[in-house]
Amino acid sequence: MTAVTLPTTGGSARISARIASRQRAIRRFKLALMTPLIVLFLGVLTPVLLLQLYFSFHEWTVYLGSWWDAEYVGFDMFASVFTDPRFGWAIVRSLAFATGSTIGCFLFGFLLAYLMYRPFRGHAIYYVIFILPMLTVPVVVAYTAEMLLYRNGPINDLISALTGVNFQVSWLTNPHLALATVALLEIWNWTPFSFIILLAGLAAIPKEPVEAAEILGASKWQVFWHVQLPLLRPVILLALILRFLEAMAEFPKTWALFQGGPGTATETLPIYIFITTWQYFQISKGAAMSYVVMVMMVGIVLLAIHMLRREKRSLDAMYGSAAAGGNAQ
Amino acid sequence: MTMTKSRRRRITTIARYTILSVWAVIAFFPIYWMVSTSFKPSTQWFSWPPIYFPDPPTLSNYMNVWLGAEEYDQAQYAISSQKPLVSMWNSTVIATTSTFLSVLFGSILAYGVSRYRILSEARMFQLLMLRMIPPIVVVAPLSLYYSALGLLDTRTGLILVYFLTTLPYAVWMTKSFIDEVPREIEQAAEILGASRWRIVFEIVLPLIRSGLVATFLFILILTWSEYLLALIITKTQVSTLPIELSKYQGSTEGRVYGRQAALAVGITVPLMIVGLIIRKHLARGFSFGMVRR
Repeated sequence: MTAVTLPTTGGSARISARIASRQRAIRRFKLALMTPLIVLFLGVLTPVLLLQLYFSFHEWTVYLGSWWDAEYVGFDMFASVFTDPRFGWAIVRSLAFATGSTIGCFLFGFLLAYLMYRPFRGHAIYYVIFILPMLTVPVVVAYTAEMLLYRNGPINDLISALTGVNFQVSWLTNPHLALATVALLEIWNWTPFSFIILLAGLAAIPKEPVEAAEILGASKWQVFWHVQLPLLRPVILLALILRFLEAMAEFPKTWALFQGGPGTATETLPIYIFITTWQYFQISKGAAMSYVVMVMMVGIVLLAIHMLRREKRSLDAMYGSAAAGGNAQ
Repeated sequence: MTMTKSRRRRITTIARYTILSVWAVIAFFPIYWMVSTSFKPSTQWFSWPPIYFPDPPTLSNYMNVWLGAEEYDQAQYAISSQKPLVSMWNSTVIATTSTFLSVLFGSILAYGVSRYRILSEARMFQLLMLRMIPPIVVVAPLSLYYSALGLLDTRTGLILVYFLTTLPYAVWMTKSFIDEVPREIEQAAEILGASRWRIVFEIVLPLIRSGLVATFLFILILTWSEYLLALIITKTQVSTLPIELSKYQGSTEGRVYGRQAALAVGITVPLMIVGLIIRKHLARGFSFGMVRR
């Protein structure tokens, strides 16, 4: 396909023409490989983002005629977003929820991974049980939680039986607890994620430095703190960042269980945007809000990517990425 | 303090098994509760004190939900009309098609990244943004755009958007497999006159077959359980299993636990099977090249 034969016009000219045609063919090939991505970007993502921008600057709700006739209102929509205390509270709740559940997932995941990174009897069965929560559909988690957490439900009953105290917590109806309940569900649901990548990370730590430290008389604690933990840094960072970003986007459990309630107790950013758009039908306000959240999240993600790339470069330098198929960066 | 080494080791072992077992109970109990509730007769769904073992176990919840066996008893009214089976079919078609597209085009892209660097490392990370920005921020314009294109409430619409949102995972994961294929094989094939496309489809992709299967199943997990986009894009014609489950909640004040559980078990079991098949590959899917082995 690449070997385009050209009329003979002398040796070196022919070779250079061949090289040029080969490079053209490679360029065409690369473009063909890229095509699906380009089509998706131009066909889906770009129009959607442009529509979003349009609605942020034109006031439209579903009651106001055709959307393309909507009135231009400048930055009014953004002004109404920034002066809306519910939006501010939604940001606070989202950040609190994401931070709390990320830390929870990390601590439990790390503890389990540390106890399991060396082979022992029963390893396989524990591993299987530990990843099951991650393989449960989030909506199912929410409904199962409802079956478990009502006031006279099995969880309170079991805790009462184990502690001997009459334990009656209103997990689902107490507005001070509701967000924490979702966070606990998130931790239950996604600790397997942190566990899996931390376990892989711990198992991938080269043995030599650990053994060297042990021979030099380091205690288990010193080995952990001064050898294993620094080597694990990239994986720890990855576990924290990905979990945080996913938690910022959490919707199914919160929605299926609480719809933002009781009151506004579980109204996180995704929930508030959803309510504004699909229950109040304030499409424009929802769009402006979405833009604000998107810019905020792009900022966070760029920071995260910056940190991840720095860690990846140090990993590449350490292991020499040439061995891994030749895609050195 | 004269503790022998073997004694200390035994204490560590006991501590390890204790902690792991406690967590195993925490991880497993809700799943057990869902399964056991699905076998409980209606009087035991919501009782005080809670009933831990269905007595006697019954299949009526499954019959009612999945086969539409209508059985009006006391306060519960049957809402089933075999819709879950239709949703099961929808979910299967949507999840497998979008995942197939994602893995097919993702692996082609990944090949280009691995061998021709069509995307720089920075671009590869930016691609992840498609996954890291909360989808809620684009669902409203997406639904309007879709209604203009006639894609709202269609399988094609959901397939397209799942294809887009899972592509980053597909590219990253298949790239990690392609990176492990030695380039000498491709060079040999090129010398023998194989075209570039033949090298991709007849040499590289077959070589990473098991990796492609792992990627496929990994992404299947994500598309099977997706909720928000399905909630927005599906209306009356097409609904997926997670949406079907949430309809039970809305229409019955959330008190038909046994039937919800029977539906939930049906949604979860395929996912668990898939997840357990690829359990060794899960770390690779999630780690974006940050875990070396």
